[in-house]
Amino acid sequence: MAMIDIEDRPSSLWRDAWRRLRRNRLAVAGLVIIAALVVVAVFGPWLSPYDFLSQNLDLRNQPPSAQHWLGTDDLGRDVMSRLIYGARTAFMVAVGVTVVAVLIGVVLGSIAGFYGGWFDRFVMWFTDITMSVPQLLLVVVINASLKQPISLWMEARYMETLNPIWRNSQIIDFVLVFGAMALITWPPYARLVRAQVLSVRRRPYVTAARAMGLTNRLILTRYVLPNAMGPLIVAVSAGLGTAMVLESAFSFLGVGVTPPTPSWGNMISDGLRVWTNYPHLLAAPAAVLAVVTVAFNFLGDGLNDALNPKGQK
Amino acid sequence: MTALLEIRGLAKRYDIRLGAFGEKQAVVRALDDFTADIIEGETLSLVGESGCGKSTTGFAILNLQRPSAGSVRYKGQDIAGLDEDAMRPLRRDLQIVFQDPYSTLNPRMTIGEALAEPIRFHGLAPKAEIPARVTRLLEDVGMTPRFANRYPHELSGGQRQRVAIARALACQPRFIVCDEAISALDVSVQAQILNLLLDLQQKYGLTYLFIAHDLAVVRHISDRVGVMYLGRLAELAPSSALFAEPLHPYTRALLSAVPEPNPRAPRNRQRLVGEVPSPLNPPTGCRFHPRCPLARDICKTSVPDWREVGPSHHVACHAVTGPGRTNWEGPA
Repeated sequence: MAMIDIEDRPSSLWRDAWRRLRRNRLAVAGLVIIAALVVVAVFGPWLSPYDFLSQNLDLRNQPPSAQHWLGTDDLGRDVMSRLIYGARTAFMVAVGVTVVAVLIGVVLGSIAGFYGGWFDRFVMWFTDITMSVPQLLLVVVINASLKQPISLWMEARYMETLNPIWRNSQIIDFVLVFGAMALITWPPYARLVRAQVLSVRRRPYVTAARAMGLTNRLILTRYVLPNAMGPLIVAVSAGLGTAMVLESAFSFLGVGVTPPTPSWGNMISDGLRVWTNYPHLLAAPAAVLAVVTVAFNFLGDGLNDALNPKGQK
Repeated sequence: MTALLEIRGLAKRYDIRLGAFGEKQAVVRALDDFTADIIEGETLSLVGESGCGKSTTGFAILNLQRPSAGSVRYKGQDIAGLDEDAMRPLRRDLQIVFQDPYSTLNPRMTIGEALAEPIRFHGLAPKAEIPARVTRLLEDVGMTPRFANRYPHELSGGQRQRVAIARALACQPRFIVCDEAISALDVSVQAQILNLLLDLQQKYGLTYLFIAHDLAVVRHISDRVGVMYLGRLAELAPSSALFAEPLHPYTRALLSAVPEPNPRAPRNRQRLVGEVPSPLNPPTGCRFHPRCPLARDICKTSVPDWREVGPSHHVACHAVTGPGRTNWEGPA
């Protein structure tokens, strides 16, 4: 019997998607901006020209100059250094929150969609409830009710151990902000994953895997989840941007990261009060936040087109 | 002639709820009272219109859809409704090939990974021998080993269907359900895949349950043919007998609908009136009676028995009066 042959040039679906993504200029621009943000966030302490906390009360509210490229704020701190440190805050919060939320969403959503039954009903009921609570309200409540007991508990630990780590109030900020935001952002991921799993688990290759006798765990991890990931990647890209905006919004309103830790949100909030006299204090953080948000949206759009090429033209 | 699978009274019902609050309950009878033996080494075909329950039969036999009633005896054990852990060692023997070549393979796995999976999972070969096994499977279905590191989206429909067959073979099965396995392919490719299936049957002594709607194909490859209508077997007979002398009025109408290549050939077309009723509320008695040219009063009230009227020729019809005879010519 004559054999059917094929040339040797394999290409996986991921590689094809990457090739399509590279052809999308806006997505590449978004990717470059995000990469720059990551570099700035990771290497911030070495990149920033000044310490973000050091005050110079002789040089308050300076306009941009050769020494201070983006000027100084009302306490004479270098705005650019604070922006760079704010990128660290934003990046840490966005990645931390998204990782936690996606983990919760994937685990609960995939189990709910794959097995169905009472667990599915319970998870969906829980997502409905969570999504019905106003996000801001939930964060304010968590902040107001938990911040004080946690601070007291940490102070007590400090008195016991004298380990200065217990006096680091940034830890409370981040744990509370991460925690509160993860709690309000996981339900959409869970629903997305569940919907994908529901559609994928009916495909013939999943039935074929069942006909082979594979265990449910293998079927879920090797056949269902890899094929349910496409829309999740898009959602994560958009979610990272949303988490950054959300962090800024909470810090802007004073329920997020507490000063003096710089966050783009509390810098915008500070700048807003004096913007008629010192517009650069508002413009700099606002512009950075806007550019980064748009970059994430471009990347998300590009990923969507690259991963679902059938949806185009 | 030993029976590989003894199927008795197999049924699949779906309970559904209708209305805004699910207050109305209804039962879809997708498959009812399916009784047949599947003989070792044969090709048994099931034909019928779409929605008649032929695919459901395949899924219920393999316990991929848990049957609502009935039994399937395999190796002296009733596998109908067996739980997945008990079923696992038997799954190897009972495989399936699907209709749609574009969704039959996991898009994220190379062909080689897809074929290695069952070998590894069931421990059918030592780890070092798996690549050699994959190569042999690909050669079995007429493909070069170079396909092993390719992804499904790089293959044509016919090539994918070959891989799907190789995947079924990887388990070293005894029985394969071919669920419309060639229906979605081009006619020329259909012939290739069909011949491949027949070659493999000879080589490995496979038994096929061939689900199809193309009667010409079925006639060519089957040892026996079962005709289904609305979830029930209407007639089951050796292929030659069924095509030479169909007894059930539905079979006769179905066979007379096969296109005739010669336009001048005399035709005796039996046209059916009306539509296939919904399995949600199937007709009482014989499910075919609203469309049957021979229906009598008894057909409306009593379900016809499954009777053997000739050598392994079974039929479910009140109008079949004796072995090989039916009062087809006029209503009683």
